Amino acid sequence: MAAALAAGASYADARVVIRRSQTVATRNRRVDRLDDVETQGLGVRVLVGGAWGFACDNELSVENSRAAAARACAFAKAAPGSHRRELVPVEPARGEYRVQVEKHPFEISLADKVEHCLRAEAALEHEDVKVTAASVRAQQEQKLFVSSDGASIEQETVECGGGIDAMAVRDGMTQIRSHPSAHGGSSAQAGWEYVDSLALEREAPRVAEQAAALLRADPCPAGVTTVVIDAEQMELQVHESVGHPTELDRVYGTEAAYAGTSFLSPGDLGSLRYGSEHMNITADSTTPGGLGTFAFDDEGVPARREPVVAEGILSGFLTSRETAARIGSGAGGSMRADGWSRMPLVRMTNLNLEPGEGSLEELIGGVDDGLFLQTNKSWSIDDQRLNFQFGTQVAWEIKGGELGRMLRDATYTGRTPDFWGSLDAVAGPEEWVLHGLTNCGKGQPGQHAHVSHGTSPARFRNVQVGFRS
Amino acid sequence: MSEGLELAERAVRAADGDEAQAIVRRESSGLARYAASEVHQPTLVENEVVELQVVRDGRLGIAVGNRPGEDGLRELAARAAEAAASAPADPDFPGLTPKTDSAEVEGYDAATAGLGAADQAGLAATAIDAADLDLYGFVTSGETELAIASTTGLSLSQTMTDAAVLALAAVEGASGYAEQSSWRIGGIDPAATAREAVAKAERTRGATEIEPGSYAAVLEPYAFAELLLYFSYDAFGSLGLLEERSFASGRIGEKVFDERFSLADDALDPRGFPKAFDFEGSPKQRVELVRDGVLEGVVWGRQSAARAGNGQQTTGHGPPSSLRHWGPLPYALSVAGGEADSAEELAELVGDGIYVTRLHYLSIVNPREGILTGMTRDGTFRIRGGRVADPLVNLRFTVSVPELLAELPGLTREPVLVNEESYYDERYPNGVLTPAVATARFDITGIGSAPGV
Repeated sequence: MAAALAAGASYADARVVIRRSQTVATRNRRVDRLDDVETQGLGVRVLVGGAWGFACDNELSVENSRAAAARACAFAKAAPGSHRRELVPVEPARGEYRVQVEKHPFEISLADKVEHCLRAEAALEHEDVKVTAASVRAQQEQKLFVSSDGASIEQETVECGGGIDAMAVRDGMTQIRSHPSAHGGSSAQAGWEYVDSLALEREAPRVAEQAAALLRADPCPAGVTTVVIDAEQMELQVHESVGHPTELDRVYGTEAAYAGTSFLSPGDLGSLRYGSEHMNITADSTTPGGLGTFAFDDEGVPARREPVVAEGILSGFLTSRETAARIGSGAGGSMRADGWSRMPLVRMTNLNLEPGEGSLEELIGGVDDGLFLQTNKSWSIDDQRLNFQFGTQVAWEIKGGELGRMLRDATYTGRTPDFWGSLDAVAGPEEWVLHGLTNCGKGQPGQHAHVSHGTSPARFRNVQVGFRS
Repeated sequence: MSEGLELAERAVRAADGDEAQAIVRRESSGLARYAASEVHQPTLVENEVVELQVVRDGRLGIAVGNRPGEDGLRELAARAAEAAASAPADPDFPGLTPKTDSAEVEGYDAATAGLGAADQAGLAATAIDAADLDLYGFVTSGETELAIASTTGLSLSQTMTDAAVLALAAVEGASGYAEQSSWRIGGIDPAATAREAVAKAERTRGATEIEPGSYAAVLEPYAFAELLLYFSYDAFGSLGLLEERSFASGRIGEKVFDERFSLADDALDPRGFPKAFDFEGSPKQRVELVRDGVLEGVVWGRQSAARAGNGQQTTGHGPPSSLRHWGPLPYALSVAGGEADSAEELAELVGDGIYVTRLHYLSIVNPREGILTGMTRDGTFRIRGGRVADPLVNLRFTVSVPELLAELPGLTREPVLVNEESYYDERYPNGVLTPAVATARFDITGIGSAPGV
């Protein structure tokens, strides 16, 4: 801090991050990954004459820290543009936060993690399944944050998770089923008890059977119909069509060249109808077990729970201290950086679809003719987060309120406000599941964020299914 | 001896008698990111990461760290040894790469390596000053080193440089895109790139919608590179072939594309980002993937070649261990040029269709059939009467890439380098060399947002 202030910074903060992670992955009964990663370093962010600067170093020494601060200030001073920035005030916090777990995932040996994967894989065996895969992961991150405002915060988080995939192949067709989520499974801020709760071995026979059955299933027909979407796919629907467009840095255009902008504008706050009255979305960095749970964000702003969409009306943005000051609303709290070598960005924390009422069975029972869509397979959405197309691993026909035959290669598409406007039911708390994903990309240089979404299955009317012209 | 190689050799010695291989990745880089013509996220990175692979009785364990001191390396070796002790033996593990020489390549430029924060900010200012519209994007330059040492005597190092400028000129209702990349700072022109983006943006005002359907199209190199790269993940890697989930499965040797289409992976080409060896330490080779429309082969690493069990040899495409689940991937796709002098000439060949500058958010819908979806952005136009005409809103496409490649009325003569490094994790400059192409079939399946911010 002292070096940054001496070099002309009006504000500075620094984060030391020590992150250890283990990944064990097996594929076709062989170990595909068995690695243990520990990295550390320091990132210094400065504000000089209204311009940001950021520099980092993997050497944790006084000399290197001072040098990083000086480089950050030099970069800020050289930055072109007419810089004017204000930050909403935040009470300088001093404190500690540690995630409490039952079984620390690093107390589980690597050999036991390998065995966990191989057992799950063995249960995926099926004559049509050509590729079986299982993985588990664990991470511990220790973070020290200090700022020139006087903040001094230590936080320690622990995550773990896992998943399985079965890919069936026959006659030139491939089909995949996964559990509990596609694309690497699901993670939580928790101990190994979370991995145990995923029941990878127990669910594996069903996953393999369904992958094989998809090879013989009919393709999902195109048309406009009612869809019930499972909690896992709803996680991605919330993430892509609500989470990213409500990031206020995107609204202001600072992600325009890469991740894109947003169809929302600052003036939409409090008035834009985002969806039907059944749509209630909350940004909650206090959700137990969420990957976006903390005591303070990477600007030292305390965790909070705030509505983003309330009864279908846009009610809040995800903000930083800078963007909150610019819009004149909010107090930040969503700034997160991917480790020590990246600047914090406005990121999702835990963005949850609040539950409605009733069971999944009741949701399906309310459909005379439609589809039940399960587990993401593909995803794409435009740069303003309006037009999206998602594919799911499996679809089930619904006739007369009952699930019918299995269908393959289902996709659905829509425009965000129209789609959410067609939401007519969200299942209740008993169906609500917290999914955690670790591959949310944003920023240049790129950053991965770990975020969670609590969702229940939901029902949408008049949805376009199918994609080929 | 380079810094990276010296560190790699120290890491191998720390393994203390085990069979071991160390891979070091060093980075010194700066990225001046701008939005609305202001640098808002400038990032300077100094880092060195050591991956230590320890082998015990055919069992491989990997540990990664970034503490280069002796204590850090000893702790790294202990974690790698524990990982090796925890792994069952892999019958297809080919062992560590024996001592070998790497390919001779270019790819290092002292002027680029010497750029500092003030230079990067200055180049960003050059781009911004040249733009009449608000500019978004970045200027970056960096020096990276990949070094590998092992107990087999392998001792390799390559220090690379790279520089890139990305320019999105945008206001409400209009946006245009351009970029340039090179391993030489002299190979990029930030002002010209910004002007290209502005000129494109000015033509996108008043964009309208079109009916979804199948259109002939011209794809600029930016768009075609992205499409090819996504297709290549499942089509041109050997792991997908071995697992029977690849488009290439059962099709090698068959004519599956237009005869005008030839594709190689060529990391030795000085027009790209040259590489001497892969992440397993094998020399890089040029691999013909498609020749005159015939699918010729895929890329291999030592692990996948061993698994093939038919005498197959590596082509120098061993992946980093963190991407082993993807298998070997082509990081230097290179499309042969055609006969057209310009993208406008391709529009004449198309006659009636659409013109696409850039793509956004691609996703693989069906890997076996090569079906991808995504959006166009920052310069989509109607082609009418053989000319690039009125602007269009962003369009959703869902295409079978093999069908798109089945009929290519033309390609431009000169391939250009399109940057494909997104700067996640450790920096590894890579890109696609490709001309613009005209295709008879590009399937539009939806309507997106208007151009602009």
